[in-house]
Amino acid sequence: MSGTFRKALLGTVFVCALNAGSAWADTIKVGVIAPFSGPFATVGQTFKQAIEVYQAQHGKTVAGNTVEFVYKDLDQANPAQSKALAQELVVKEKVGYLAGFFFTPDALAVAPLIDEANIPCVIFNAATSAITEKSPRYVRTSFTLWQNTVPLAEHVAKQGIRKVATAVSDYGPGIDGETAFKQTFEKAGGKVVDSIRMPLKSTDFAPFMQRIKDSGAEAIYAFLPAGPTTLGFARAFSDTGLKAAGIKFFGPGDITQEPDLPVLGDAAVGITTTFNYSQAHDSDLNRQFLAKHKELFGSSDIVTFTSVGAYDGAHVIYRMVEATGGKSDGAKAVAAVKGMAWESPRGPVRIDPESRHVTQTIYLRVTERKDGKLQNTEVAGFPDQPDYGFKAGK
Amino acid sequence: MSGRHMGAVAADQPPQVAARGPRLRRTLGGAAVPLLAAAGLAAFWLFPNDLGLMTRIAATALYVLSLDLVLGFGGIATLGQAAMFGTGAYAAGIAAVHLVSDPLVLLAVGGLAGGLVALVTGALILHARGLTLLMLTIAVVQIVQEVVNKARDLTGGSDGLSGIEPSPLFGLFRFDMFGRTSYLFALAVLLVGVLVARRIVRSPFGLACRGVKEDPLRVAALGGSPRRYLVTLYAVAGVFAGVAGALTAVTSGIVGLDSVSFSWSAEALVMLVLGGAGRLVGAIIGTVAFMTIHHVMAAIDPFHWMLFIGLFLMGTVLFLPGGIASLADRFIKGNRA
Repeated sequence: MSGTFRKALLGTVFVCALNAGSAWADTIKVGVIAPFSGPFATVGQTFKQAIEVYQAQHGKTVAGNTVEFVYKDLDQANPAQSKALAQELVVKEKVGYLAGFFFTPDALAVAPLIDEANIPCVIFNAATSAITEKSPRYVRTSFTLWQNTVPLAEHVAKQGIRKVATAVSDYGPGIDGETAFKQTFEKAGGKVVDSIRMPLKSTDFAPFMQRIKDSGAEAIYAFLPAGPTTLGFARAFSDTGLKAAGIKFFGPGDITQEPDLPVLGDAAVGITTTFNYSQAHDSDLNRQFLAKHKELFGSSDIVTFTSVGAYDGAHVIYRMVEATGGKSDGAKAVAAVKGMAWESPRGPVRIDPESRHVTQTIYLRVTERKDGKLQNTEVAGFPDQPDYGFKAGK
Repeated sequence: MSGRHMGAVAADQPPQVAARGPRLRRTLGGAAVPLLAAAGLAAFWLFPNDLGLMTRIAATALYVLSLDLVLGFGGIATLGQAAMFGTGAYAAGIAAVHLVSDPLVLLAVGGLAGGLVALVTGALILHARGLTLLMLTIAVVQIVQEVVNKARDLTGGSDGLSGIEPSPLFGLFRFDMFGRTSYLFALAVLLVGVLVARRIVRSPFGLACRGVKEDPLRVAALGGSPRRYLVTLYAVAGVFAGVAGALTAVTSGIVGLDSVSFSWSAEALVMLVLGGAGRLVGAIIGTVAFMTIHHVMAAIDPFHWMLFIGLFLMGTVLFLPGGIASLADRFIKGNRA
């Protein structure tokens, strides 16, 4: 009698121990902070959809752990709120990973937090070079303006173009683009004849077009926030006759991102950009990605750079979970993905061990109309481009 | 009963009828600060996992309180209160990065900067009234934002000013990731703010400001200078907003351009109207209600929460035009009848 009892007791203890063991191992939460409402809601939507596509293709479990994504809405750049949300995710939701982040200040806001909690933070977008310098627990799967601009400036110089005017919106990324272009282009023997900084809220671009005309530039390098501003700029560029006069239009690919193309319309045709991803990228992996996306959500029209940022970010997080066996150890997780290389829908990518930023092929694309739909056609690729802005100083 | 008769005879305010209402209100008003402290501390024990949000609520409540001083007690229509909030936040942030790290000193720096901006801009624009004034306050906040954006080396521009690491409070309490120090600190600052604001509102100066709000001509006829009262009030409220900004900078460790934005000014106005302008409790109730609902809704449905917030605001404006704080009045009135 007592023997049976003892066995039962032992069994109970054993089962309890098993349960306790799997309790901490079975669900790993990833907190995603991004805009899901308001004017930038599309960004959050592309993040979420790409993550769901990734989970549909690769399953929700990795090394016996279920990975669950928790979404928090941050509708505009608001670092104080970003910090509060991250704090809530870490303290209350007990997330093992932070991810997302569209705006730079929001990503910067969590640096002290991820260091204290020792959790990794995978950035899907925020593109200022300096971010990954602020904490060793940042890993970034997007791009930086330097990364896109340096190969573009070299390409422009190779075309035999000698005089270029830059026109950028007067804010952080714009200035980054201007600096990167000027440095690279002048090193290659070209000359930046005018550097125009346009107020962020400009709606009338005619005066800037006049300045471009007066500068005698053969081409322009332009960067503005995607959406209506770029539309206004591109329209003014063709309306004031600069396009007809044969001045070439170059810029980083954000300005012709896929969701904006229908709005931009024919004003976008002929713009030459460099970027890390085009929906029209010619590879099997990209076609599978788009097909799965279409299957899940009915349309893949909004798939763009933020989609691959999140898709590859999810991949990095899965590898981190695998490497740490489901335990929360940020330093170990980040160490595990340093130097990791894989094939992404955008092409071959690798996490640079030093900058923890993705090294990737940057494509030269021309916006054109194909089968009645505008697309960014890749015409050339510059492989293995690192983040040239890492530790480039202020 | 007899009171009502006598009151009806008097031409001015019926003194004896009203007597019970204000007395009760005053008792409630006296209990407001201890009640607030008790509620704040209770929240600390009840929601130990939400301290991040609650810290933001406390700092924002102080900011909305500053708007209440200006709008509710001075009748200054403004959509530019964020200019003072943001200046305070950036001043404290820049000081923290380059000069000092003591949190109390940083608050003082923020308050000073906010007050200074309010004094200068107030002196320039407070000759106007109504819509003109509203436009001017918007202009001020836009100008301050553009200056902050341009001064990139100092403020970080659109990347935000990061790297604000305040030293432990009184050299003892570190600002940790759980936010215990941050919350208690913010709550204490808010309580002090409410006490000081109450003193100001009840002082002769505060009464004079209310007089200006009701009838500036009459104040002028009595020998007062309405504009001087308003500029002083604006500057004092600027100090409050500046301290609130500095408090946000200290507790969150970063300042962004959003803190000097038009929309941040407008949001304060929404919270104030929701709570009830013209009473100090209203500012706090409005902030707590708005931010809590915002948070809960956004957590339940991160994609469509704005719709529910909109419905909630419309409901409040339709059924409680005096704000949530006016519920107490209704209650008192209901008791009497």
